[in-house]
Formats: sequence, C-alpha cells, structure tokens
Amino acid sequence: MLEVSGVATGYLGENVISGIDFTVGGGEVVAIIGSNGAGKTTLFRAVCGLLRPTAGTVRFEGEPIHGWPTHRISRAGLAFVPAERHLFAYMSVKENLALGAYPRRPRPVDLDLVVELFPRLGERFAQRAGTMSGGEQQMLAVGRALMSRPRLLMLDEPTTGLAPNLADAAYRALATLRQSGLTLLVAEQQVPLVLRLADRGYVLENGRIQMEGSAKELEQDPDVRRAYLGVT
Amino acid sequence: MLLDGTALGLQFGLLGVGLTLVYGLGGILNLAYGQMAVMGAMVVTLTMRAGLPAGWAVAVGLLTVGALGLLLDATIMRPVYRQQGEHRVLLSLLLTLGVGIVIDGLLMWRYPIGSLGLDIGGAAVEIFGVRMRTGTLLASVISVTTGGLMLAFLRMSTLGKAIRSVIQDEEGSRLVGINPAAVRRLIFILSGILAGLVAVTRSMTSPVGVNAGIDFTILALIVAVVGGLGSISGAFVAGILLGMVSTVSAFYIGQYITTIVLLAAAAATILLRPTGLLGRNT
Repeated sequence: MLEVSGVATGYLGENVISGIDFTVGGGEVVAIIGSNGAGKTTLFRAVCGLLRPTAGTVRFEGEPIHGWPTHRISRAGLAFVPAERHLFAYMSVKENLALGAYPRRPRPVDLDLVVELFPRLGERFAQRAGTMSGGEQQMLAVGRALMSRPRLLMLDEPTTGLAPNLADAAYRALATLRQSGLTLLVAEQQVPLVLRLADRGYVLENGRIQMEGSAKELEQDPDVRRAYLGVT
Repeated sequence: MLLDGTALGLQFGLLGVGLTLVYGLGGILNLAYGQMAVMGAMVVTLTMRAGLPAGWAVAVGLLTVGALGLLLDATIMRPVYRQQGEHRVLLSLLLTLGVGIVIDGLLMWRYPIGSLGLDIGGAAVEIFGVRMRTGTLLASVISVTTGGLMLAFLRMSTLGKAIRSVIQDEEGSRLVGINPAAVRRLIFILSGILAGLVAVTRSMTSPVGVNAGIDFTILALIVAVVGGLGSISGAFVAGILLGMVSTVSAFYIGQYITTIVLLAAAAATILLRPTGLLGRNT
C-alpha cells in the first residue's frame, strides 16, 4: 500500500533522514520506533507532503505521491495525525470533525463511528477544541482524520503528553481500528505499547533505518531491549 | 444620531473584516487596502460617466477590485507566502505599501480632482419616528445584508469553514485536504470586494475622493486592531462601536478630531486588551 524507497530530506539543505526504505502492506500495522531526534517526524512529514523529499520515491497504492501537495495526498486517502495535532482550536469538536471530511460534507455514518470509538467526543460536540484536555484533543485529531475514510492512517507519537492510563486508552482505540481492517503506520517512542499493537516494525536511528523485523523479533532483540525497553 | 452611528459603524465593520481576513493568512497586513477601495469607487464613477446605470456600475466596480485582489494574490504576494513569521509580516507590509503608493499615484495623476458621489437622493425618510437620509438608509441596508451574508457564509458553509481553518491552523487545514492556495485566492478576492463595497456605501452619504485611500486603510487598521486582528466577529463589533464613537465625537467635538479619537481607541485597546475586544476568535 505504501512503498518508500531511498527517501532523503531535511531542513535548510541539510538532510535529517536519508536512504529510507520501508513498506506498509494493506491491513498491516507497522511501527517506526526511535528516540527523540531520530527523524521519525521528518520521515512522516516527507511521506505526507509537508516536506518535499530531496531524493527517493514514495508510492501510495502504486502511485508516486512524492512532490504532491499535502491536500492532494490527504484526499487520496492517506491521513496523517501529527504529534502537535494541529486541530482548529477556535472551532467546536463538531466543526473539526466536519472539516475532516473536506471537501465532502461529513457523513452521519462516519460521525457515528467516531463517536462509538471515542464516546467522550460525542459528549463534547459543542465544545471548542482548544479548551479540551490533551487526551481529548488526541481523540479529536484521530477522529478528524478518520472522517475522510482514509485507507492508511499515519500517527506520529500518538501518546505525546498523555498520562500512562490515557496512552493505554489511545492504543486500545488503535487496536479497535486495526480490527476494522484499517492500515496503520505509527511512529512511537513508547516502544512496548506500539510493539504490542504492530505486526512489523522498523528502528530509526540518526536518520537511517538500522533494523527491521516482526514485532516479536524486535521485542526480543537485545539491542532494542537495551535501548527502548529499559532492559539491561 | 444613534442610527447614523450604527450605519457608519456597519460600514466600518465590513472594512475591518476585509482587512482582518487577509491578516489571518499568517499576519499579512494589506496596506494597499484603502487604495483598492478607492479604485473600486473610481471605476464605479467612470463606468457611470460612460453611461451605465448605477447598479451596473457598482457591479463592474466591485468585480474590478475583486480582480485586483486576485492579481495581488497571484503576483506580488507569491514571495510573501514563501516566508514565515516576521519575514512574512514585514515583506507584506513593504510590498502592499508599494502597491498602495502606485495606485494612489496613478489615480491622482489621471484623475486629480475625481471623486465618487452616488446621489441616492438627499430626501429624508421617517423610520421608527426618526428622520434618516435615503443614502444613509440604503448604505445601512447594504451593509447589514452583506455583513449577515458574510457571517453566515463563514460560520455555516463548508467553504467558509475551510477559510477559517486556514486562518486558525494552516498545517491542520492541509492535513484535512484543504488547498491553502485556493483559500488565499478566495480571501483576497473577498477582501477586495468588501473594500470596494464600503467605498461605494460611503459615497452614498459623502463623496469619496481619489486621495481617500490612506484614510480607508487607517480606519480599517483601527477597526481590526480594536476587534482583535484576525477576529471576524470582533471586527464587526468594533466597527459598530467605533462608528458610534466617531459620530458622537464628530457631533460634539468636531469632524477634525474624530480620527484622533479613533486612534486613541485603538491605542487604548492595545494597552488594555491586546487581543482585541473578543480576543482571538475566528
């Protein structure tokens, strides 16, 4: 579904990531793990067009999308939930969700699905997005992305700023989405959480992919255990 | 007097909205805004002189300023969009200031004593037992209708929400599939039309001269600042408020002093409520 090959990009002419190859198959959940500054966010921004790759190709469902503007990639069915969420702070929960379906009108079925996944949002339809708690904002960001009926959902550190119990809840919601057949690509520092959800994963370090494998393999790898799972 | 103040205030409000919408695009202040308004007025004048009825002339005038907005967006604003933060603000100030000076120069060179006065008839009519001039009345009706339509469009329609989303969080808007370039284009056209419309409604009560551009810009800036730059509903509220203040001070103190009173209102707002009357609220 997503094929990234040889991608390099960065800021101010300096490559932050380079030689990135990875794939995501339909229905798969793939994790990109790595510490702060490893280049996870840069990689995701390059995939969804917020940052133009300086080298390499990105194919989504066979089509080369590198060089497309973000709105076109989003309309093609690739939704991205950034760590900073980028909600419309002065609009209500309902308006945020409605815009998620842009350029179509929001479909009631989709609204129902989002509310079923996050009942909290349903209770707060009229509330302004900017006044909600971090956990609720994260729910709204995911809900807004779902309103466009994406075929691939990319999440950058969905647990940023969330208390441990909320982080668990976030991953339970992602597990529900996975069961519904949605393809997920998740960047995460909280490695135990994401490996429990993922089928496969890639380890990103210093802007390069250092390792790849099934979630089980990564969980048992001594280097990964030492670096990310707090096992010595 | 109260009705006069409201009528004036509604026009101030529309003037402020046109400026504040553009400001929402990452802090772009269009200093050629007033000159755009005047250019609209002059096109109306010339079209009427060519023999077209007033209604058609106004339509031609508004379309011209709308097209001018489109032209600005497609040409001189391009490098501005590529900048972020302070650079964007500064570059937009310099470039639009230049555009304003050029328009001013052209108008004063070609039409040194030209002015638009739409004579709707000075006859007074009675409304709620108050005597009002027909021109004032028509200007108010147009302003109220346009203001209502603008608010409804921005709050209720999908396109209007898309405009607000770009103002609130451009990256977020791109992520949901909105093309910010298209929205910017639309905002510049809308803003131009609003500027032209206000020049036309102003001309229904007093003539609008070729050199009125800078006054319109300053007025729009004051309204937008008091309402909170970037706030659409704030600009409306501030416009009505300042329209009252302006009318009252013109009546009791004198016309010459109203600009100073309005500037003082803006200064007080910056000191007491830097975010404007309603705060940030697109």
